Amino acid sequence: MYSKELLGLFEKLGIKIGDTISISSDSDTQEGILMPKTEAGGSGIMVIKRKDGYNVGIKYKKGTVIAKISSSPSHHFSFPKAQATSSKSLNNIAMLYTGGTIGSKIDYVSGGVYMLTKPEELLHEVPELNGIANIGINGLMSIASEDMTYVEWQRIAEETAKALNSGARGVVVTLGTNTMHYTSAALSFMLKDLNAPVVLTGAMRSSDRGSSDAFVNLICSCSIAAKSDVAEVGICMHGTSSDSKNLFIRGTKVRKMHTSRRDAFKPINSSPICAIDAKGRIEYLGDYKPIDASAKKSVSAVTGFEPKVALVRTHPNSDPGIIDYYVNKGYRGIIIEGTGMGEFPSSPSVKQFSWLDHVKDAAGSGIVVGGTSQCVYGRVNHIVYRNLRLLEDIGVVNCEDMLSEVAYVKLGFLLGNNDAKKAREMLNVNIAGEITYRTEFKEDFTEQ
Amino acid sequence: MHDLEYYKKIGFKCGLEIHQRLATKEKLFCSCSTDPCKDRVIGYVERRQRAVAGELGAMDRSTSFESSRGRSFVYNIFKNTSCLVDIDEEPPHQVNREAIAIALRFASAFDARIPDEIEPMRKEVVDGSDPSAFQRSMMVAYDGKIEVNGKPIPITSVFLEEESSGIESIKGDAAVYNVDRIGIPLVEIDTDPSIATPGEARSAALKIGLILRLTGGKEGDAVASEVQRGIGTIRQDVNVSIAGGTRVEVKGLQEIDSVDVFIENEVTRQLKLLEIKKILLERKASVENKPKELTKILEYESGKIIKDAISHGGIVLGARLCGFAGILGMEINPDRRLGSEISDYAKMAGVRGVIHSDEELGKYELNDQTVAKIKEHLGAGSGDAFVMIAAERQACEKAMEFALSRARMALSEVPPETRAVADSRKCTTRFMRPLPGGSRMYPETDAEPIEIAESYYGAIKEHTVYMDERIAKIKKDLSNQQIAEQMVYSIRLPLYEYITSKVKGINLVVATILLEKVKELERAGIETELDRDVFVEIFKRYSEGEITKAGIGEVIRYSPKSAIEVRKIIKEKSLQKISGNELKHIVDRMSYEGKADIVKELMSKYRLNVDGEELNKLTGGRK
Repeated sequence: MYSKELLGLFEKLGIKIGDTISISSDSDTQEGILMPKTEAGGSGIMVIKRKDGYNVGIKYKKGTVIAKISSSPSHHFSFPKAQATSSKSLNNIAMLYTGGTIGSKIDYVSGGVYMLTKPEELLHEVPELNGIANIGINGLMSIASEDMTYVEWQRIAEETAKALNSGARGVVVTLGTNTMHYTSAALSFMLKDLNAPVVLTGAMRSSDRGSSDAFVNLICSCSIAAKSDVAEVGICMHGTSSDSKNLFIRGTKVRKMHTSRRDAFKPINSSPICAIDAKGRIEYLGDYKPIDASAKKSVSAVTGFEPKVALVRTHPNSDPGIIDYYVNKGYRGIIIEGTGMGEFPSSPSVKQFSWLDHVKDAAGSGIVVGGTSQCVYGRVNHIVYRNLRLLEDIGVVNCEDMLSEVAYVKLGFLLGNNDAKKAREMLNVNIAGEITYRTEFKEDFTEQ
Repeated sequence: MHDLEYYKKIGFKCGLEIHQRLATKEKLFCSCSTDPCKDRVIGYVERRQRAVAGELGAMDRSTSFESSRGRSFVYNIFKNTSCLVDIDEEPPHQVNREAIAIALRFASAFDARIPDEIEPMRKEVVDGSDPSAFQRSMMVAYDGKIEVNGKPIPITSVFLEEESSGIESIKGDAAVYNVDRIGIPLVEIDTDPSIATPGEARSAALKIGLILRLTGGKEGDAVASEVQRGIGTIRQDVNVSIAGGTRVEVKGLQEIDSVDVFIENEVTRQLKLLEIKKILLERKASVENKPKELTKILEYESGKIIKDAISHGGIVLGARLCGFAGILGMEINPDRRLGSEISDYAKMAGVRGVIHSDEELGKYELNDQTVAKIKEHLGAGSGDAFVMIAAERQACEKAMEFALSRARMALSEVPPETRAVADSRKCTTRFMRPLPGGSRMYPETDAEPIEIAESYYGAIKEHTVYMDERIAKIKKDLSNQQIAEQMVYSIRLPLYEYITSKVKGINLVVATILLEKVKELERAGIETELDRDVFVEIFKRYSEGEITKAGIGEVIRYSPKSAIEVRKIIKEKSLQKISGNELKHIVDRMSYEGKADIVKELMSKYRLNVDGEELNKLTGGRK
């Protein structure tokens, strides 16, 4: 943002962002288009775009003279758009647009990239989409995924159900990647009697760059929504760092495992459902629920969600008082991400670090407590070691091979729609592929 | 070459862009090594790229063009010289402050203005040379000047940017790049277009190169060399236009000596294209909009290009160019015709080129009867020409679209283009892509603007050693002024300075070896781009009396890769110096044996081992 002093000056001179101005000091005059200032915080440095396309920053000092040369031509700061077309030979799908890197452009208000692109602009950049399906674009919201809450999950679930019940063959949801695996889990639980592909996708590189993964991700996701016979919620992102192959991974068995790579999303304790390339070729790789052509029931969005559920991580020297905190705050559920097979400190040499009594009290007071592991891969167990048996005794639910994030979302969903007793019962019963009771061998368990 | 008046008359305008790689330890936006030697490929990624709108929402003509070619790219990844940042899998790290300091030193040497804040930008490139589809670039200074033969030439801008990746191969649609050198800091120095003659362009390029090599920072008592040496580390781009013509950028000239010839050829090319335009307009020429398929007519042809295409399921397309007869074959540069220009455009779609009616069609094994059939099918009369392309359908259609667009331009303009070297001996160029405009600039949102405080810049200026100071030192150190002059202009000057900072007291020997012997070996095709510490080791061996001056060249001839190899070569090739008592003993023995011409005989046997001067002293001039 420009400083108050500069903004006042611009106003006085009738200068708007995008106007061509000159900035003169005693020895130098620079001409160019006044650009928005990207950095947060007040700044006395004016950024102008020179004729050669480069931006330079010039400080406003005593003696600096600013003058307007011409007004901004109307086409500045508006991006090319394309309309979705319609063809009888193609399937209808819906695209729910929620924001995220996939549709981000530079934001001069807060600095950095932000979600500003209109869906039509996305289509302009990926014209191939019009050849895959008739796409009905619905701009639901423009939000960063780290800012998403269960309120947005509910809205997306409802809109997805609405689109499917109005004739869409499949749905693509574009969203930010940071919490995409939470959203995919939430939709997996919330969409009851789902009989169509629901594909979540995004981008690790913003679509304002020619190398963005958004293009291939959109093409592959739309192909799955329009052509696959998978009746599940899943995430479709790059399978490797190359643009050659995407993976469609079950929404409850997927996790963002890298901060920046295109192939950040990996299947955990599971195989991907299928691989797909930019030409729309699908290769099925794992078990999945196929579309049932004879099914009569329409999909419904069961969107109750209890926000008073916590996800807590234990570690050496961790303070179990955090459990009391949540109890006092009136929380109804806690997922404890323990170590190894789910152990947390139960008999430490320094007694104050034992979580046992705190958790026992919580469970005893009616809070649903579930146990997962920070190993990410593998299954928790409540029998092998003494400390594990103690967990079982105090009422911690063994969450099997469920991811901690998924267990958290599931508990919120269960408590939002059921009483505590039912929720405790259901926590380790498979609903949407979140629990697998047998784990196939793989030479390298991190490989897909 | 013509005189100044001639260039004034034709409205000649010329500007330079000099690119020079910096010798920083790390790359501009990551911690990878900038030394591409001694590295190996550890994997690759395959990517697709497309054009996106620039900051103001406009699509740049050059990026749209490249994108319409729809190519995919492969990037070879290296162990030490590339990381996730280089393959666009991680945001850039903090900008390299060492590179900023060097760029600011250059800005100061060119007497240019520094903005209060440097804004990192993305320059869109969709030719695939960058995995991120843009090159990070920033303007670090503007409005400077240099003096060339007494005439001031404005330096419009000094940029600091990332080096692009090097191309490994192109096969049809797939281009393979190496990302080892991508992201190495590079400065670009641009002049304004006031250069008046090709000769002046050459002088200006020399002068800028000199300033870049000879401006440096103090590192204790020594002056740090701030630019990389060797082939490809400095490149010249020239912008040329004439009245009625257009601005054309010729990219990537590596030999400074031929810069003027390239410019002269570009002037000729534009003049010829204007002449062609005039003829075509007089003839009321035009270009067919829709090509016609010739596959059926040519089904049984035996010429390789056509046969290959058809047998692989491809097609042949042809189009009439009305009134173009004889024009496609007109020479516009040595060995370059309008037909070659059209062919360049078609090649962008991944085809091998075009066949046109001004060529000797016998080389495609097309006989007169077939040619007549083609002409008939295309409706081409005697005043018309035609072009033909044989390839896989999609590529063929795209190639024809490109080719016809170029043919159409012949009627209206000299197209604004970026051109690459076609033949470095004949100094000719070929079409590379349309000339980019400002629309491809976009702010780099992943990097922060760099505020340049006056105090920071002042501190850098204070530690800058300017060209004149350094030239004075070189002249002082070298007793021979002619050699000093040559050393100053030599591309090996940084190497000279490095070696002489490590091995003292043999400056003249180092200079003569680098200027003469290394050049001689290089011409003989021997690899002389050795690691600079290998050079240091060789001269150390000389300085400590282990080898002779003649021995130095001999060691270099074996292109050692390390200091250990230097010592091994000396031993294995018996290059140890023979001197003192040992030499005296040999002389005495030969003298005792009554040899007639001791010096001659000894030198023929021990040319590489004996120092001629010492021998002369020892023999006292006797034979």
